[in-house]
Amino acid sequence: MNDAEHHNATTGGRSKLDAPSVLEVAHVDKYFGGFCALRDVSLNVPAGGLVGLIGPNGAGKSTLFSIITGFIAPSQGTVSLRGRPVDTLSPFERARTGMVRTFQVPREFGHLSVRENLMAAVPDQAGERLFDLFFRPQRVRIQEQEGAALVEETIDFLKLKRIADQPAAKLSGGQKKLLELGRVMMTRPSVILLDEPFSGVNPVLIAEIIDRIIELNERGISFLVIEHDLEALTRLVARLTVIDYGTIIAEGAPQAVLADARVRAAYLGGPA
Amino acid sequence: MDAYLAAIVSVTLIHVLLALGLTLQYGFTGLINFGMVGFFAIGAYTSALLALHGVPVVLSVTAAAVVAGVSAWPIGLASLRLRDDYFAIVTLGFAEIVRLALTSEKWLTNGVQGLSRIPPIYEGTGTAAAFIIVAILLAVTAAAIFLIHRVAYSPFGRIIAAIRDNEEAVQAIGKDPARFKIQVLIVGSALAGVAGALSAHYVTYIVPEQFMALTTFYVWVAVIMGGVGRVSGAVVGTAILMFFLEGSRFLGDFLPWISSVHMASIRIGVVGLALVLFTIYRPQGLMGDFTKR
Amino acid sequence: MTYLALVQNGIAQGLIIGLAALSMTLVFAIARFPNAAAGDMLTFGGYAGLFAFNATGSLLATGLFAIIATALLSLAMYYAVFRRLAGRSSVSLLVASIGIGFMIRAVLGVSFGHGQLVFEIELTRPYIIGGIRVSPLDLKLALSALATLAAAFGILYMSSIGRQMRAVADNSDLARVSGIRSERVMAALWLLVGALTAVAGVMLGMATIVAPEVGWEILLPAFAAAIFGGIGSPIGAVAAGLILGVTQELSTPFVGFTYKIAVSFVVLCTVLVMRPRGLFGKAEAVR
Repeated sequence: MNDAEHHNATTGGRSKLDAPSVLEVAHVDKYFGGFCALRDVSLNVPAGGLVGLIGPNGAGKSTLFSIITGFIAPSQGTVSLRGRPVDTLSPFERARTGMVRTFQVPREFGHLSVRENLMAAVPDQAGERLFDLFFRPQRVRIQEQEGAALVEETIDFLKLKRIADQPAAKLSGGQKKLLELGRVMMTRPSVILLDEPFSGVNPVLIAEIIDRIIELNERGISFLVIEHDLEALTRLVARLTVIDYGTIIAEGAPQAVLADARVRAAYLGGPA
Repeated sequence: MDAYLAAIVSVTLIHVLLALGLTLQYGFTGLINFGMVGFFAIGAYTSALLALHGVPVVLSVTAAAVVAGVSAWPIGLASLRLRDDYFAIVTLGFAEIVRLALTSEKWLTNGVQGLSRIPPIYEGTGTAAAFIIVAILLAVTAAAIFLIHRVAYSPFGRIIAAIRDNEEAVQAIGKDPARFKIQVLIVGSALAGVAGALSAHYVTYIVPEQFMALTTFYVWVAVIMGGVGRVSGAVVGTAILMFFLEGSRFLGDFLPWISSVHMASIRIGVVGLALVLFTIYRPQGLMGDFTKR
Repeated sequence: MTYLALVQNGIAQGLIIGLAALSMTLVFAIARFPNAAAGDMLTFGGYAGLFAFNATGSLLATGLFAIIATALLSLAMYYAVFRRLAGRSSVSLLVASIGIGFMIRAVLGVSFGHGQLVFEIELTRPYIIGGIRVSPLDLKLALSALATLAAAFGILYMSSIGRQMRAVADNSDLARVSGIRSERVMAALWLLVGALTAVAGVMLGMATIVAPEVGWEILLPAFAAAIFGGIGSPIGAVAAGLILGVTQELSTPFVGFTYKIAVSFVVLCTVLVMRPRGLFGKAEAVR
C-alpha cells in the first residue's frame, strides 16, 4: 500500500468527507450562445478534502474551473467559499479569499526565473505599491526578505533548487506544473483547484507531485483536481465526481464510481 | 559649434524622457501606447500657460507632470477592457483629439498661432547658458532614469513583467493587473508631460503642429532600435534616432535640390521604413525579447 | 447651413467613410488586423485620380485609373510586407501598416509637395429634386460610390472568390483545410481593398482637396465605423459609415468644425465599452 493509499484508508481523506464544505458549486448552468456547456452542475469540496473531477474531453471540466475561479461568468447558479457566495468577486479577488487554481496548459511567467515566479505570488508586498517603493524602502526590503525566506522553503518543498534561477520558459512541462503548484502555495490558499496536474509529466514526477499534494492536504488545504490519468487520481483522492456533456453523471468513492456502468459508457463507449 | 552640440544634446535628453516613459509602458508592461505625443502636448501647454502667468518654471513643470498623469487615467481604464490593437488605436485617437483641441480652443491655447515667449529653462544667452540648460536637462533625465530603474527592478516591476507575460495568471495569484496597468500608464504619461514641458521651455514657443503623431512613432522606433525592455535601450535608441535625424538635416544641406519641406517628408518615410523593417526582420525588437531584465 | 444641407454633406461623407470602413472590416475579418495604411491609400487614390483627371478630364477615366493604381499599390503592400508577416500578432501587422502609411505619405509629399491641390471641375447649376438642391457632381459621386459598393457586395456574395473570402473570415483553419488557397484569397482581398479606398479617395479629393494628410483624417472615423458596424459585417461597415457621416455633419453646429472627428472617437470609445461587437458583428474577442 503506498503512501497515498494509506492516507486515503486512514483518517486522511475519507472521514473528512463529512466535514462542512469549503467550496460549494450550486446549480451552475453555462450557455455559450446556443451551446450548453454545463447544466445544473452542483458539487462540493469538504474542508480538508481531496476531490477529483473527471470526464471525457470537452465535458466541461475546465469551463467549470473557470466559472468557479471567476474567469467566466455562469449563466445561472452560485459558487460559495466557506458558505459565502463569491459570485460578485473578480478572479483576483477570489484568489485573495483563498481559492486558487492552476492551468491545464501552464501559464508560467516565462521571462521571470523560477524564484521570481514564486516571489511574484507572495501576497501583500509593500514593494508592489509605488508609494512604499519610494517612501518606505526599509519596509519593502524587510518584506522582500521575508518573502524570499518563504520562497526558499517552497523551493525546497518542491525540490526545485537546481533550476531556481532559470527563466521559467525554459522548464520542462512537468517542472512548469510543479512551478504552478509552488506559485499557488505562496498565496496561502485554503482551496487549490488543479487543472490536469499530471498531464505531460513523467511518472516519477507524478509520484512526487502526489506526495506534495498529500502533504499540503495534511496541512489543511483542500483540493479539487481535474485529471485524465485515472490511475494517478485514484491514488490521490477520496471522492470522484464524473462529468459528461456538461452534467454530473456519478459521484462517490473512486472504486465505486469507476465501476459505474454510466461512467464506463461515457469513457469507454460501453460496459466493460 | 558648442551651441549646436548643446542643442542636439538638449533635444536628445528631452526625447530620452519620452522613450523612458514608453519603455515603462511597453517594454516592461507590454502596453501598446500610440498616444505619447498627446501627453507630451498636454505637458507642454500646461507648463507654458502656467509659466506665462507668472508661475516659476519648476512648479509649472511639476504641474505639467501631474496634469499629464491625471489625463492618462481614462486611457488606463480603456486599457483594462480592450485587447492590444484596439487599445493602440484608441490611444492614437486620443492623441489626435488632443491636437484638435489645442488647435480649436483658441481662448486657451491661442489656436494655430500657439504660445510664444515662454519663459526659458534658464534665463541667459550665450554658450554658458546653453551648457547650464544641458546640465539641468541632464539632471532631470538622470532622475527619470533612476525612477524608472527603481520601478522596473522591484516587486512592482516583477508584477508588471508578469502581466506582460501572462495577465490571467497574475489574476490567478490574487493580484489585480488593472491597478498596475493604470499606474504604469499614469507614470509614463507624467514623464511624457515633463518632457513636453521642458521642450516648451527650451524652444520657448509651441504650436499644435509640433505635436503630430509622427513624434509618437519617432519614440517607438527609438525604443525598438535600442532594445525593448531595458532602460539602457531607451537611452541608446534615442541617441541613434537623434543621430539619424540630425544627419538627415546635414544631408539636406549637401543635396540642394531637396528642400526642407521635402526633408520632412523624407523623415516620415524613413520612420515608416524603419517600422516596417523592424517588424519584419527584428521581431524581438517589437514583440519583446525581454530576456535581460 | 440648413439641416438638409448638412444631411446631404453627411451622406456624402458617410459614403466615403463607409467605403473606407468596408475596406477596414474586410481586412480585419480576413487578414485579422486593423489596417492603418487605409488612410494613406485613400490619399494615394486621390492623387492618382487627380493625375488622370488633369490628363483626360473624364470622370470615368479618373475613377478607373485611381482604382487600378491603388489596387496595384495594395497588392504590392501585401506581397512586400503583409505576406511576410502572416501568422504574426495583429499588433505587428498594425505597426507595419502604420509604417507603410508613412512611406506612402512620404512619397506623395516628395513627389507632389505639401500644397493642397484641387480637382478643377466646372461648377454647374444644381438640380432641384423634390425641392432639394443637389449638385450634379455630388450626385455622380454618390452614384459612383453606390455602384462601387454594389460591385463589392456582388463580389463578396455572388462570386466564388468572394465566397472563399467569407470562408476565410469565418474560420481560416477550416478554410485552409477545405482547400481554399489563402494566397489567392489574400490577393483578391487586397485588390478589393485598393479599389474601395481609391473610390473613397477620389470622392474625398473631389469634394474637398487633395493633400498628403487628408486620408489620415479619415482613418479614425473609418475605424470607428468598422467597429460600430461590427467587425466582419460589410453591411454594418457601410451603414455605420453613413450614420457616422451624417452624425458628424449634424454635430458641426454644436461642436464646431474642427471637432468633427472627435465625434467618431466618442462613438468608437462608447461602442467598445458598451457593445463591443457593434451593430451586426458576432461576439468578438475585444478583451
